[in-house]
Amino acid sequence: MSAASVRAEAKRLLALSLEGGAVSSDRVGAVLAALAKSRSAHQLRPLLRAYLVNVRRELARGEARIEHAGPLAQSDADAIAAHFTKALGRPVRPVARRNDALLAGFRVRVADDVTDLSAALRLANLAKSLS
Amino acid sequence: MTFLSALLAAEPAHEAAKAATHAAPAAAESHGPVGDIITLFGSFGVDGPHLLVQLINFAILAFILHRFAIKPALGQMEERNRLIEKGLADAQAATQRLAEAQKASEAKLNAASDEAAKILADARNSAKAAVEAAKAEASAAQAEVVAKAKAAIEADRVKMLAEVRGEVSRLVVETAAKVLEQQLDDATRGRLNEAAVKQLAR
Repeated sequence: MSAASVRAEAKRLLALSLEGGAVSSDRVGAVLAALAKSRSAHQLRPLLRAYLVNVRRELARGEARIEHAGPLAQSDADAIAAHFTKALGRPVRPVARRNDALLAGFRVRVADDVTDLSAALRLANLAKSLS
Repeated sequence: MTFLSALLAAEPAHEAAKAATHAAPAAAESHGPVGDIITLFGSFGVDGPHLLVQLINFAILAFILHRFAIKPALGQMEERNRLIEKGLADAQAATQRLAEAQKASEAKLNAASDEAAKILADARNSAKAAVEAAKAEASAAQAEVVAKAKAAIEADRVKMLAEVRGEVSRLVVETAAKVLEQQLDDATRGRLNEAAVKQLAR
């Protein structure tokens, strides 16, 4: 299989793995079981690699990875996730992680989009404007 | 021939002279003044026939001399005179040609001198122009070097100022960050997080 056909096949497998717009673990298991039966190991390796990348990307599209300085209440994390769910038009769940290097505020990453409301970024912008 | 004539005429002449000597007074006595003259010539030994022979001899001698001696000698002299005149004319012509040649050479020398002076003047002018051009080029190059050096100095200054400004900013921000990190407690950070959530919601 060529690289282009592998990517197309992985994209088709990802579409089969979605349920209600989100990745379903049951469907992923079914897809993998079907692949194990129908393909040889030699053909399966590049296809599974591409499928894994697609699944990770899709899972990241449904996560709001929140880095915050200091404590962040769960209600605030849910509010952030609700904001992105509304903005992106798909369900987004919060995944919070403390990072005091941000000094204050938080930084949210949804797939490739980053929203930074931290004091560290403001100080960095200040330093850039002064230099 | 003269000598032969003299031998032939010697004896009769001598007798004739004696007769003339003796006859002279008689003739003088008989013919008047002419006779006196003849008598006088006779007293000097000159008598008519002898004189005639002598005249003939002289004429013959003169003719021979003129024909075989004087005329060739005169011809030679004329030829020599002609040669001398020709030599003189040639010498004069040579002198004239020499003078003309000298004049021509002098003219050529003057012309060459003028040409040399002109060439020298041209060379001096060319050298002067070349020196001026070199000076102008050197001045332009110097000005360009100075301008480049000024631009480089200005660029270095600007770069240094930017570096200093960036370094100061970095230090200020780092200091502010450290101060904030030390001064902010969890309660304050929590309040700031809530404010950020509200800002995001807007």
